[in-house]
Amino acid sequence: MRHTIRFTGVGGQGVLLAGEIMAAAKIKLGGHGLKTATYTSQVRGGATVVDITLDDNEIFYPYANEGEIDFMLSVANVSYQQFKNGVKPGGIIVVEPNLVHPTEEDRQKWIIVEIPIITIAKEEVGNVITQSVVALGITNEFTGVLDPETLREVMLSKVPKKVHDVNNKAWALGIQYAKEAKAKIGM
Amino acid sequence: MAREVISTGNELAAHAAFDAGCMFFGGYPITPSSEVMHEMSDLLPTVGGKFIQMEDEIAGISVALGASMAGTKAMTATSGPGISLKAEQIGLAFIAEVPLVIINVMRGGPSTGLPTRVSQADIGQAQYPTHGDYASITLCAGSLEECYTQTVRAFNLAEKYMTPVFMLLDETVGHMHGKAVLPDLEEIQASIVNRKRFDGKPEDYRPYDVPMNTPAVLNPMFEGYRFHFTGLHHGPTGFPTEDAAQCQFNIERLVGKIDAVSADVGLDDDADYEEFMLDDAEVCLIAYGSISRGAKEAVMKLRNDGIKAGLFRPIMIWPSPAKKLKEIGQKFDKIFVTELNMGQYLKEIERVMGRSDFTTLHKANGRPIAPLEMVAKVKEMF
Repeated sequence: MRHTIRFTGVGGQGVLLAGEIMAAAKIKLGGHGLKTATYTSQVRGGATVVDITLDDNEIFYPYANEGEIDFMLSVANVSYQQFKNGVKPGGIIVVEPNLVHPTEEDRQKWIIVEIPIITIAKEEVGNVITQSVVALGITNEFTGVLDPETLREVMLSKVPKKVHDVNNKAWALGIQYAKEAKAKIGM
Repeated sequence: MAREVISTGNELAAHAAFDAGCMFFGGYPITPSSEVMHEMSDLLPTVGGKFIQMEDEIAGISVALGASMAGTKAMTATSGPGISLKAEQIGLAFIAEVPLVIINVMRGGPSTGLPTRVSQADIGQAQYPTHGDYASITLCAGSLEECYTQTVRAFNLAEKYMTPVFMLLDETVGHMHGKAVLPDLEEIQASIVNRKRFDGKPEDYRPYDVPMNTPAVLNPMFEGYRFHFTGLHHGPTGFPTEDAAQCQFNIERLVGKIDAVSADVGLDDDADYEEFMLDDAEVCLIAYGSISRGAKEAVMKLRNDGIKAGLFRPIMIWPSPAKKLKEIGQKFDKIFVTELNMGQYLKEIERVMGRSDFTTLHKANGRPIAPLEMVAKVKEMF
């Protein structure tokens, strides 16, 4: 079974790390995981897309096939607009509603879920850098693709010890908001 | 025991260099190759190796060449624009027969092109990176494992043939992050090739006085064996000469030590190509580097749709696996060639096979080629 997940944002938001964590967790569980990133030559502010492919078998093509993505999360409008069409019809797209503006057509085509990821990181966790970990919690809660405890452990192994507490908080908040959003749309 | 790691192609290429005994890195950072350099800067000081970030690409290769002249295994890493800058010193490495591994993580060109985007447009550059006559050895990694194993091989070939060796990655393979299963370290260490040395009396030493199609025997500098390094044509001790017979011999030997040996017995025992589901195939896809990964997926999709497809993937790009390519050309009526350039290797395939009736898919916009694009194109052949 193959799962393809796409994170989109702009350079500097930390979406690359979230992708690496997911791939590493799948590998730890005995499968295959590949992360590829496409970005522009702008250091900050350029559209960034991270494709994560998780499979029990070997993965050859390391990018998501356009139109086959199960789940996308977006924290920047420029990259949302550029990369949304990779998501299969009926797929789930989680957006940061303060920054990403889906059209009415988009809402017909995909399940669009609004979660204020950056506000959560900034105000509830107290550190905007943790937005990638909030996103990680949300993504796994929606896709259910990885064992949550393994994913959390891999996440902690990638961040310095002194920020374990805030990242655990970010992780838990991501899951909590995703659960509430799922309940709202009857998932 | 095989080693399972989670890493990127660039990092694995650096680890391979380290495990192959590279003790010197000189270079200048450039996207998408910089991580090779970052990793070397972490690794080399731990064993007393030397890492220098120089003021530019030219200085980067110059110090690496100097290190190699002194007998140290050395490497530089860059992308296409960096190779262009290094071209003059690459020529010195060819004519003076100085072993060096040059990693090129390909990005879109020409010039500064598309810095962050994938390309395979340096295939031609790797064959003839500088002026003059010589033959290039170029390897191309198609997986994370090969970023490691082929870089080790690059060092072994450089030492065996006393020549610069190009190790081609591309942005996709270089930055791809995932699982790789590497060979046992002891197995790697047992495979290491070191350059020949002359152990006779210093006054009898003639480094370039070697038979046709064999490499020079260069002892490390500063050990009492005196000879001369020059970009000029040179005689037995390395001092310049314009002797007609000597100059002709020099170039025939420089080309022959790679091309003639490759055509005859192959440069080493490692695989120069991969065949993927070719045995019962009715159409042969040809792709290399990261594009071969999409081609493998295309092969699976085509087979699901009832078309028996297979893939031929060159690993040693230069000299090309000509004998095998020729066989493929004779065996298959339907051949599909796909590359992330405007057809640089297609020319070699046409030359070797002596035909040009291929279906092709070439792209040069910095975007990968998706399996579904290949599938659509291959289906048009039926």
